[in-house]
Amino acid sequence: MVGAGVATPVGLDLDSFWSGLLAGSDGLSAIERFPVGDLRVGRGGEIKKLPPVAAGVRSRAAALLIAAAADLKGRVSLEAAPERIAVVVGTALGGVEELEHAVAGDASPRRALDALYDAPAHALAAWLDARGPAITVSSACASGATALGLGADLLREGQADLVVAGGYDILCRFVLRGFDALRSLTRDRVRPFDRRRSGLLLGEAAGLTLLARERDAPGRSLGRLLGHGSASDASHIAAPDPQGGGLERAIHAALGAAGVDAGDLDFVSAHGTGTPLNDRIETAVLRRVLGGRASQVPVNSIKGALGHTMGAAAALEAIMCLLAARDGLLPPTVGYEEPDPDCALDYVPGACRVARPRLMLSTSLGFGGCNAALVLEGM
Amino acid sequence: MRTGACVQAVGVLTGWGEGVTALPADAREAATAHPVIRLTRPPLEGERFRRATRECLLGVAAVQQMLREAGLERSAIAGPRTALLFVTAGAYGASNVEFIAGRAGTLHFPYTAPSALSAEVAIEFGLTGAYVILIGGPATTVDALWQAGRLLRDGRCDRALVLAVETFDECEDLWRRARWTIPAPLVEAAVCALLVPATGEATAAGSGTDAGLEAAVQTRAGSTLACGPLIALALARQAGVEAASVSGTWRGRRATVDLTTSGRAAARH
Repeated sequence: MVGAGVATPVGLDLDSFWSGLLAGSDGLSAIERFPVGDLRVGRGGEIKKLPPVAAGVRSRAAALLIAAAADLKGRVSLEAAPERIAVVVGTALGGVEELEHAVAGDASPRRALDALYDAPAHALAAWLDARGPAITVSSACASGATALGLGADLLREGQADLVVAGGYDILCRFVLRGFDALRSLTRDRVRPFDRRRSGLLLGEAAGLTLLARERDAPGRSLGRLLGHGSASDASHIAAPDPQGGGLERAIHAALGAAGVDAGDLDFVSAHGTGTPLNDRIETAVLRRVLGGRASQVPVNSIKGALGHTMGAAAALEAIMCLLAARDGLLPPTVGYEEPDPDCALDYVPGACRVARPRLMLSTSLGFGGCNAALVLEGM
Repeated sequence: MRTGACVQAVGVLTGWGEGVTALPADAREAATAHPVIRLTRPPLEGERFRRATRECLLGVAAVQQMLREAGLERSAIAGPRTALLFVTAGAYGASNVEFIAGRAGTLHFPYTAPSALSAEVAIEFGLTGAYVILIGGPATTVDALWQAGRLLRDGRCDRALVLAVETFDECEDLWRRARWTIPAPLVEAAVCALLVPATGEATAAGSGTDAGLEAAVQTRAGSTLACGPLIALALARQAGVEAASVSGTWRGRRATVDLTTSGRAAARH
């Protein structure tokens, strides 16, 4: 991972994102961009103003991706033939807001094409002049992790020389109405792993990394993506497997691909949505995977700060891991205050912690029984 | 792109019927004035399918069709050693439009996710292995075939299902707006290919060639988007070629993958 760029509710570039996470910032606020008066919950991690580079981009989803890409391009050079640059991004929602417009009466052909979930990735590829594979992963909220993994595979197999990989999703009425109807949203603050946790809040963000083969990486890298794994629950259309079987298989697949033993992990970036079920299941899986060292390995969730950014979540969490290793600081789990006996791990409460992890695990789950895991190494 | 994968079976359902033998010689001519050739909702029974959308059931039916063609029991693909790779350009459109229009109930929302379709398939057949969902047209299916080959070659699975489903009927108006990029007729399809590791290094040269197959799919099936490359595999198998170069084009990008197409051995367990 040569570099990264982001656009998030706690910062519109990598530096402000990172300082916001370390400071324990809360990026959640009342949603202003679309009507929410008829919903139970009208809060989320909304970006109030996108950077100027995104002005004029037709869809907000594409604009968000381009904002993150502009941040990335300001930090690293994309020096390769355009045909050798690939784009792989994860999303849960793609261009669905464009579909809302199209259904509401905007009959333009472009609007219809922008409604397809792969449209924003192609808009990003065009903006970057990347003419290699342009792939959209939609494994719900695990999309970003699988996108990073596929990006690494393209490099390993020589299908590209550089890959811009990550994830994104926007807050729109479609998704807020859906989660509101399922009563998954909390009226309280987001409290991952806390005894009082009562649900999630959604956020919008994009997180992109530049991946290169190690021998081709210019200058100092952020870190290495050592392995990735995915697995299906085959359990329920929306809820996670109560035993966490899919997540556990994904973690072991990632560890196996990385050639890393679970006992060597120094830090875990958890999915940690703040829902009663997810956090309990995820904790149980991590306890099984980490074994006797479970209570010694710090585990955090950044969803208390950003909200659940869906397709962007895993990419942002991977970036967070590598920044933590670079700077020797672990961001706290914002919103975590009261321990839950069902969630008995070290969740980095309160303030950021001085620690320099080397080997790190990032976990993700999503609708449709999607599970994915990444194993990362800091530099 | 090369893979070390062998196509053991392809289950094909299209608006024209079951299998590639149902495809007309010329889809445009056969479609007459119909812009969409629809697939009917498969008559799958059971409480679990009560809320399932038509596209979910089509995914399940395509896997059933593949198992019939392969002569395999469903137990042969269950478990963590089977990877599932699902591709669609727009099969989620119908459920999304339902939800946007407020015609669907509260519990419909999870079905708006593309992963709902693959989830129903995974649940039905007990598929708990590697899991990848890609969005896009024919080139994306080629990417999925390549990825399946890589998973097989790396020993991350013993077999891989590459599933593609496309439905158009409920969103016909939206698809019609994009007719300058996607030629009529739009033909609904659900296709599943079973891939296993290839035992030899077959070469695609001189057998099923990519441009010929891609054109044959468009001519005979019509626009089936993500299903196209899998239909091409079925056509190559029907023609008895040993190996095929399968290609797909989407949003200006063309991708090609080489596969052994003559696999008839039983799936490895």
